[in-house]
Amino acid sequence: MWQSLPELGTGIVYAILIAAAYTFAVALAAGRGRPRLLQAARLGAYSTSALVLFAVLLLSYAFVSHDFRIRYVAHYSDRRMSTAYLLTSLWGGQDGSLLWWSLLLSGYVTACVIWLKGRYRELQPYVIATLMVIVGFFAMLMLFAANPFETSIAGARPDGEGLNPLLQNYWMIIHPPCLYMGFVGCSVPFAFCVSALVTRRLDNEWVVAVRKWMLFAFLFLSIGNILGMMWAYEELGWGGFWAWDPVENAACLPWFTAAAYVHSTMIQERRPMLRVWNVFLICLTFFLTIFGTFLTRAGIITSVHAFAQSSIGTYFVYFMGVILGTSLGLMVWRLPDLKSTGQIESVASREAMFVANNWALLGGMTFILVSTMYPKISELWGESATVGPPHFNRWMGPIGLIIFALMGMAPLFGWRKTSGTSIKKAFRAPLIAMAVMVVLHAIFGGYLGYPPLVARDAFYPGFVGLVIQKTGSTLPGITIALAAFNVAVIVQEFVRGVKARRTVASKKGETESIGVALFRLIEKNRRRYGGYIVHLGIVSMFVGFTGTAWDIDRETAMVPGDHYHIGEYDLTYLGSRMCPGNPKCSAEEQADIEKRMLFADVDVVRAGKHLGRVSPAKFFYQSQPDGPTTEVSMMRSLREDLYTVVGQVDPQTKRAVFQFHVNPLVSWIWVGLLILMTGTITSLFPELSLGEIGAWSYVRAGAGVAAGTAFAVWIAMAPSMAFAHERPANSHVGTQMTGLSEATLQRQLPSAGLGMAGLAGLVLGSVVSVTRRRRDNAKKPRN
Amino acid sequence: MNDSPRMRLPRWAPPLLSLTIAIVLGNLYGVQLVVLTFAASALLLVIWLLWSSVQALAGESELTFEEAFSLGARSAEEEQKRAVLRALKDLEYERSVGKISEDDFHEYSARYRAEAKRLMQTLDENLAEGRKQVERELERRLTKASARSAASVSAATSADPSEEQKSSPAAGSEPQKSAEKPDNKAAPNTRECVDCQAKNELDARFCKACGTPLDAVTEAEDNP
Repeated sequence: MWQSLPELGTGIVYAILIAAAYTFAVALAAGRGRPRLLQAARLGAYSTSALVLFAVLLLSYAFVSHDFRIRYVAHYSDRRMSTAYLLTSLWGGQDGSLLWWSLLLSGYVTACVIWLKGRYRELQPYVIATLMVIVGFFAMLMLFAANPFETSIAGARPDGEGLNPLLQNYWMIIHPPCLYMGFVGCSVPFAFCVSALVTRRLDNEWVVAVRKWMLFAFLFLSIGNILGMMWAYEELGWGGFWAWDPVENAACLPWFTAAAYVHSTMIQERRPMLRVWNVFLICLTFFLTIFGTFLTRAGIITSVHAFAQSSIGTYFVYFMGVILGTSLGLMVWRLPDLKSTGQIESVASREAMFVANNWALLGGMTFILVSTMYPKISELWGESATVGPPHFNRWMGPIGLIIFALMGMAPLFGWRKTSGTSIKKAFRAPLIAMAVMVVLHAIFGGYLGYPPLVARDAFYPGFVGLVIQKTGSTLPGITIALAAFNVAVIVQEFVRGVKARRTVASKKGETESIGVALFRLIEKNRRRYGGYIVHLGIVSMFVGFTGTAWDIDRETAMVPGDHYHIGEYDLTYLGSRMCPGNPKCSAEEQADIEKRMLFADVDVVRAGKHLGRVSPAKFFYQSQPDGPTTEVSMMRSLREDLYTVVGQVDPQTKRAVFQFHVNPLVSWIWVGLLILMTGTITSLFPELSLGEIGAWSYVRAGAGVAAGTAFAVWIAMAPSMAFAHERPANSHVGTQMTGLSEATLQRQLPSAGLGMAGLAGLVLGSVVSVTRRRRDNAKKPRN
Repeated sequence: MNDSPRMRLPRWAPPLLSLTIAIVLGNLYGVQLVVLTFAASALLLVIWLLWSSVQALAGESELTFEEAFSLGARSAEEEQKRAVLRALKDLEYERSVGKISEDDFHEYSARYRAEAKRLMQTLDENLAEGRKQVERELERRLTKASARSAASVSAATSADPSEEQKSSPAAGSEPQKSAEKPDNKAAPNTRECVDCQAKNELDARFCKACGTPLDAVTEAEDNP
């Protein structure tokens, strides 16, 4: 065992703080016009990032070598866990996740500093300085409140406590890093914004610089939030995907402001307008990411995301104070320079629509923020209020629909001014599509189980309550109608674009097929059409969210042989089985040594057709003897999900209590995410003109290093995997790195094979490209 | 990271070495040694970067022309010009899909074109002084260089040094080298649009006659 590892780790965290402080000072000095110092600052930023990487690798080493002297390692891992989950534990708890956060931030710092080479020279020093302040804050946080290298007072334990089984889930491996990527990504735009304010370069320069970074952060905020929904849906077992938990709310707040910014920035790029607004949105987005982290970590509001309470909240409050003070101070200082010289020329313009949409997004954000904080706010006047999901659902429905309607209408307007004739022409087809959908929905909706009107309870007494109740009951119908409107708008935009291209081509005497015209249209206007694709993804998500209006939830107790009817499903309870041990268990279930699994098998028949079997279960983990976990079993389709959960099972009589949910259209949310990702990447791609700065070589080199790292880890893990395979079926020998069940291995190996092929390709590509680049360089005449 | 001009080792060599060691050790001793190897590599990287940073701070490292003078920041007029050109492009697009009436199109188009023209003139005026300075400095350096180099070479290079500067801002970084590149002197200071054959400035992004983007050509020239 490496005796001094914890001390070294703590020392490295100190070193991060010192390196960040050094870089900050040098960068500030460089800001006073000394280019040599800027180079020192850039190298300082790289070295700070490398130090963070070193700290993360040290902690990873502590995890894989089971150094249980370190409190964090002992608390979040045990000897049975596989290497993959051991590495997941890096962000499983408070202290480690702060280090992980710092690593992602360092990644952004490195990427940003590389990208900045030779550009935005005036802004660069202050961008680096601002980023270093953020790195320094996280280093301080680790040192004074949540040191991941802190040792247990009681000394090393023989085994750790293990990672919470709820977190041992593939969504959990990728959900937090994605969300953090989004959160941390907002730091770079903030740094540019501060830099622009300090240097007084408040024209479009910084807005153009920030665009791609904000879009990137927006992409990951979207992915992170939706993956969080998937995790909640599959793991928590309550039948839904969004419970308006404070931490969920905190995670979606920056999404609203980021979405508002990516729209309002388009106006500033074209017109000298909305300067204060854009600065405000960037600062607010960054503030909300820190505020969200504060809500998650400080534990001031009760939440299912139980991070241990600690003194960490105080530091966040100070930091939020610094952000607010700096942002507001700089804004007030530069207010004369931020004055708009342009104005909205007509209400019937895209600018006006964007501004309206911005307000709606900000309204939604404010509503969620105030409602989330209300229990705490109400304490000020001695009240103890709780705000539950019904409150959010009732109000966010209409707010969401306003955003949805504006999203559909905005593309129909042109910039600056749209003539009455153009508006009529643009609205005609989408309105017809909407009317057709309303009629079809009214006729067939009820028959298909998706009626346009649903019953709602009165929430408030009196006339206002009645209006809210009636509005609420029409929301599903309105959403579907607006979805049709939005889809029609997007299709129409593509059709008009393709037509225009083909007309221009025919005037030149060329012919362009529809496919070619469509491809070139998107290629030439990636940002615009990427945006429309994102809108399509949002439509898909709205359809998925609306599905909750028609869900069916039932709870029942059954004994083997009982039948139950829900929606169109006929369910037959076949009996329960404990695995490993029961002969009916599959080989993979028999081989599991981490837990005992109590399955309740249910046969599913829909409209006379046998669909298969669902097996909701309770898992009893050896590392978590306190209570079993609930394992959902689902039958998914684009139309609806059959979602089954087993509550209690009597081992003697096999009587089981089930919760059955039929959740219509949920899959459209996940489909929407894929579409949104496609659209954002389409918009983002040309903005990342990496070729210009020769950054592709870095990307390739980075990909090569990442591929190599994964390759090395995989090779190193291979012996333990083979060992896991050879073990006898019911072996319970808890040796190191044998935690993977055969089932997991069988699932992982093909994907590992595919991954390997991809990685090998990347490595090969990197080597070839580097070699070619060198050859090209060599070929260039030197003199 | 090629920030340090003193770097001799190929950029990919250290990661490759670290990777090889990690693979070998990983196969022999397990995953722990893989992580440890990468940690050690990270530490070496930190030391090297900090050392380079301190060297740069102390003024011991060479500073390339590009690093010192790569004034990537554009002037306010340049940014406004880009915004106006973008607005013109939008206008054309909106007209092509019928979102704007012909009258409005002509009105706005004329307004933006006038604005673009004004900005471009301002930009040219702003650049004039700097250009003269650069030409003077270049000439001074070239004269100095020519005194040292062969008479024939210096005679060829002193013909028109300003054109080299116009073709690439970074070219001035190595006057010594440019002085020895007689081929570049013949480079044209305009280029033709592929669509309408109009002559455009080398830094033009769109053709001034037909508006066809010239980016592809520019990028190709920037990244040989």
